[in-house]
Amino acid sequence: MITKEEIIQKTNEALKKEFELTDAQLVPTARLKDDLGLDSLDAVDMIVVLEQQFGVVLRQGYDMRSMVTLNDLYNFIEHLAQEHKA
Amino acid sequence: MRDTSGKVVITGMGAVSPFGAGVEALWNGLAAGTGCMHTVPELEALPMVKTKVAATVPEMDFSYIPRQARRSMSRMAFYAYAAAQEALRQAGYTTPPDGLGFFMGSTLNSISVWLKITAQCQANHLELIKTSDFLQIMNHSPLATVAQALKINGPSVGAAGACATGLMNLGLGYMAVKSGWLKQALCGGTEEYHPMFSACFDVMQATSYNFNDAPSQACRPFDKDRTGLVASEGCGLLFLEREEDARARGAVILGEIIGFASNTDTENIAYPSAATLQACMQAALDDAHLQPRQVDVLNAHATGTLIGDIAESRAAYQVFGPHIRTNSLKGALGHSMGASGALETIACVQMLQKQFLLPTQNLHEPDERCGALDYITSGTAGKADIILKNSFAIGGNNCSLLLRRVP
Repeated sequence: MITKEEIIQKTNEALKKEFELTDAQLVPTARLKDDLGLDSLDAVDMIVVLEQQFGVVLRQGYDMRSMVTLNDLYNFIEHLAQEHKA
Repeated sequence: MRDTSGKVVITGMGAVSPFGAGVEALWNGLAAGTGCMHTVPELEALPMVKTKVAATVPEMDFSYIPRQARRSMSRMAFYAYAAAQEALRQAGYTTPPDGLGFFMGSTLNSISVWLKITAQCQANHLELIKTSDFLQIMNHSPLATVAQALKINGPSVGAAGACATGLMNLGLGYMAVKSGWLKQALCGGTEEYHPMFSACFDVMQATSYNFNDAPSQACRPFDKDRTGLVASEGCGLLFLEREEDARARGAVILGEIIGFASNTDTENIAYPSAATLQACMQAALDDAHLQPRQVDVLNAHATGTLIGDIAESRAAYQVFGPHIRTNSLKGALGHSMGASGALETIACVQMLQKQFLLPTQNLHEPDERCGALDYITSGTAGKADIILKNSFAIGGNNCSLLLRRVP
């Protein structure tokens, strides 16, 4: 099973590349919209990118409005990973 | 009732071409006549494709475009963004004026992005297509994304007419401003090269193939040794407005558009008829209330194809007789397709400003079938007040535009 650290590392790697972000910006408390500058179009592209990165379907349980911080995103992916395992 | 009596002038120009970024680079490259054509590895790897040469925009860093604008832009939109900024700056604007119209199109959309999406489709992975990829292949993608990025908030209306696209959009912008529908318009065309263009024209026997070892000599409009065109790319945009508005705000007037015409050749989708080209040029003269003898220079479409150059030169002879000074810029620039009409109009405006007539590069001995026009074969200082610019497209779309020098 994928660990939380691996989720964070793989998520950050994908976001850095897709949205031209830096390591310094990618702290768990960073707000996707206000701190990282990701808008609604970025949010939908982000799911496509993360699905490719993790090889799992994320879009079905994904509620953009509930995803405020990077940590919310990590937790969402972790939750799906646990469900997938169960 | 709208006032249609005003003159339409050009107050800004922007270019990205195989000679680099900017109008100055375009002029310097055209004046030097060499340096932008090169062999293409993808074509060299295809034995069945005879042409091996193209002219492409040098590698440029567009990372200065904000990411959220850039994410939805294909390469041809990058070119358009840079050209639009240059044209706006020259017109005296740091941001577009309110209500600015935007007329721009291309022959095709980004083939490289299409291929990326097609690969995902073929692999049955439609779910991997990003929204920002889709936005890059919309028919009006460069128009929409550049308008969004620069906040151009007037009508954005992109006409697509293959190789006549640039001049067609200039004509539409001219009519929109002339009619009083718009106060100002940014107009032209953009295109990005892909080897597919060369391969498709090659099948049509319309490419240059006998100078693959000397790329700078490959495109030879009107020359007896020509075999066809050299595909290229870029973007040209011109800022148009009423003369009285330009003078009122102290803008520098670069030139004037005094007439435009367009018609459609329905005889054949790919092979132009001299009669229809003649009618198009004559209609532009009529639009400007000019006699043929008042035109100093014909800036021909002349791509260097066997049939097209003959048809255009014969049509020009019928309109102007043998004394019209004639040049084609494609010998140096290649055929930038949807961008060509606008890029070459920019060069025409510069010829009028500088009173220097650019040569038809590689025209050493005119094909006797190309009539007895007064071909300009070397750069020449000379008086010229009016230029007629032609653009003709596969599909039968013909356009002619008349430019006048503003002292």
